[in-house]
Amino acid sequence: MRTFTVRRARFIALCLLPGVVFVVLFTYYPMVRGAVIAFQRYNLFDITATPFVGLENFRAVLAEDRFWTALRNTGTWVAVSLFFQFLLGFGLALLLRRHFRGRGLYQAWVFFPWAMSGFLIGLLWRWMFNGQFGVVNDLLLKAGLIEERIGFLASPGWAMTSVIVANIWYGVTFFAIMIMAALQSVPGELYEAAAVDGASRLRRFWHVTLPHIRPTLALIVLLRIIWILNFPDLIYAMTGGGPAGSTDIVTTFLIQQVIGGDYGRAGAVGLLVLALLLAFSIFYLNATRFEKAR
Amino acid sequence: MRNPVLVATATVVTLLLTGCGSGSSGQPGEIRLRMIESLTGPERTKLIKSLLADFERANPGVTVELISPPLDSADQKITQILQTKKGLDVLEVRDHTAKSFSNNGWLAELPTTEWAGWPALTELAQKKAVEVGGKAYLIPYGFYQRTLFYRTDFGMTAPPATWQELYEAGKRMTTGDRYGYSFRGGKGGADYAVMMISAYNGDQLNPEKSFYLKDKRTIFSTPEAAQALDLFVKIFKEASPPDSVSWGYPEMVQGFTSGVTGMLIQDPEVIKTVEESGVTAWSTAPIPKGPTGYAYQPVGYAGWGVTSFSEHPAEAVKLVQFLSEAEQSIAFAKGNSLIPISKEAQNDPQFSQGAWKAYLQAQQDPKQVITIRPVDYPGWSQFLVDSDRDVQSLITGKKGTAEVLKAWDAFWVDQAKKVS
Repeated sequence: MRTFTVRRARFIALCLLPGVVFVVLFTYYPMVRGAVIAFQRYNLFDITATPFVGLENFRAVLAEDRFWTALRNTGTWVAVSLFFQFLLGFGLALLLRRHFRGRGLYQAWVFFPWAMSGFLIGLLWRWMFNGQFGVVNDLLLKAGLIEERIGFLASPGWAMTSVIVANIWYGVTFFAIMIMAALQSVPGELYEAAAVDGASRLRRFWHVTLPHIRPTLALIVLLRIIWILNFPDLIYAMTGGGPAGSTDIVTTFLIQQVIGGDYGRAGAVGLLVLALLLAFSIFYLNATRFEKAR
Repeated sequence: MRNPVLVATATVVTLLLTGCGSGSSGQPGEIRLRMIESLTGPERTKLIKSLLADFERANPGVTVELISPPLDSADQKITQILQTKKGLDVLEVRDHTAKSFSNNGWLAELPTTEWAGWPALTELAQKKAVEVGGKAYLIPYGFYQRTLFYRTDFGMTAPPATWQELYEAGKRMTTGDRYGYSFRGGKGGADYAVMMISAYNGDQLNPEKSFYLKDKRTIFSTPEAAQALDLFVKIFKEASPPDSVSWGYPEMVQGFTSGVTGMLIQDPEVIKTVEESGVTAWSTAPIPKGPTGYAYQPVGYAGWGVTSFSEHPAEAVKLVQFLSEAEQSIAFAKGNSLIPISKEAQNDPQFSQGAWKAYLQAQQDPKQVITIRPVDYPGWSQFLVDSDRDVQSLITGKKGTAEVLKAWDAFWVDQAKKVS
């Protein structure tokens, strides 16, 4: 066995260097810079003078009704999207676990959307949901389910439903991929043993499959919550947060601050989102750990 | 076996160099200009590239690399590059980015006196070149001005001359699956509300500071503004597709070309789209007026500028001048359906016939006034975001006209204080 010499340590450090440099340069530096901007008056209109203004940006953001509307919408957006993505993703994973002819090809087709840009998918859905020329309205009309075209993206009630439907469609595959991977880790003997003991399909699922993949599920759900919250692409392409802010979530609200040129406020929104996610993650991880200990 | 430390060092160095190296490599003596466009589109990029090839042929030893970021985030991307003050020579500057780019010292002043092409520009082009800060930070490549497109086969014998007439004609046309007007409720919708409010304020309005009246009050403070905005809502409710709450540029145009709507107010590039769409019975007219016979609209523009930190300023300026000369600029205006910047274009039949005639008509009418929007006020970008949202609140009934006008009035009263 080789000994751990200074020379060797130096070599390892050197090998790690490119990775570290890249992460510091492209992840941490922008993060820290963004955090600093949150405390400055930083309006793109004139960035030759950017004085520090303390908590002024935070006060301005928190005083806006739009921010609070966006926060409420974020709750709906994350909860409903997650629920259906999880449910459908799980179902898809269970179905795809079975062997059938052409499964590999089918999987590839199903997973394909996940590799596409969210913005592009938003544009596609925007046209599909269009009230006048959209294919969704056309199909519903031809199927006799509706009698008049629905302005999906135009009415405040439908708009949120529409963007969530698109998001569910987009995210199902992620859950399916992850859950399928988790399912493959369940040892086959356990099923055989359970079957010998006379356990039904449902009981096998409940007592063998679920406990085995629960830790993975907990982690996937957390990751997904963070990603859905940080995923303004779809909404931005479909409605831009409209009509009248009814589909605004905190991250589309942030984009609007950037477009308005006020980087200071955008930074403040960013930090607020970060704090929110951090608090939630700590709570969530504690809660799931508690469950495991029991 | 070679020394592993050496191999690793070499790897790191190569990685860092390829990652961070700038594009100034090439044969010695060769000058490489980097240019970025903003209003990217596949046809347009092709056209620019062919013009650049002409430039390269005329200037041996100079090559131009064109960067074409996707349209939706292009200006943000340009801003990011400018903040690094590196690796960019020529750029597309738009009317609403000119002020912040020049404020931050990113643009070089372009010479106008010792350039033969300058006197060949139209008066409007010369005026707009120096609009920001009184110095030529850009040479416009063309202008966007709105015109009314209308279907002649939808029972309309003459185009509506006023907004009231547009409302009435639109209402008549609205039956079942067909609607009168391609309303814009999504991004950019507030612009149309402002257009109507301006027209209703009539000769009180100050065209040089077009959100204000001659007596320094804002255009949003008058009873005429309320009239205009009420009619704006009525046009939406009674003459436009309900779905148009969320319509932006593509939906408006698609609405018109697919026969869903009978009227559309848009920029000249739509002429080409309509021509290619197969719609045959259509015509154009100047934009509708207010009750006292005035119509106001800004002229949108964009142009080419040179960065203040360019390593090859002489060649960069030469490129901008090349693109702005009659031959190239007319080719560019034709390819993109823009109002051209060159005096010579007046002799070009394309710009005085058919759908283009409405522009000539508007130019000759003293009551079709070109205004200057307060793009140089610090709150301009914020207003664009906020006002679009207010328009959606207004047409979906979440806010009333009085409430919206009060907010806009307060915003611009406050802005006036910040500028003076």
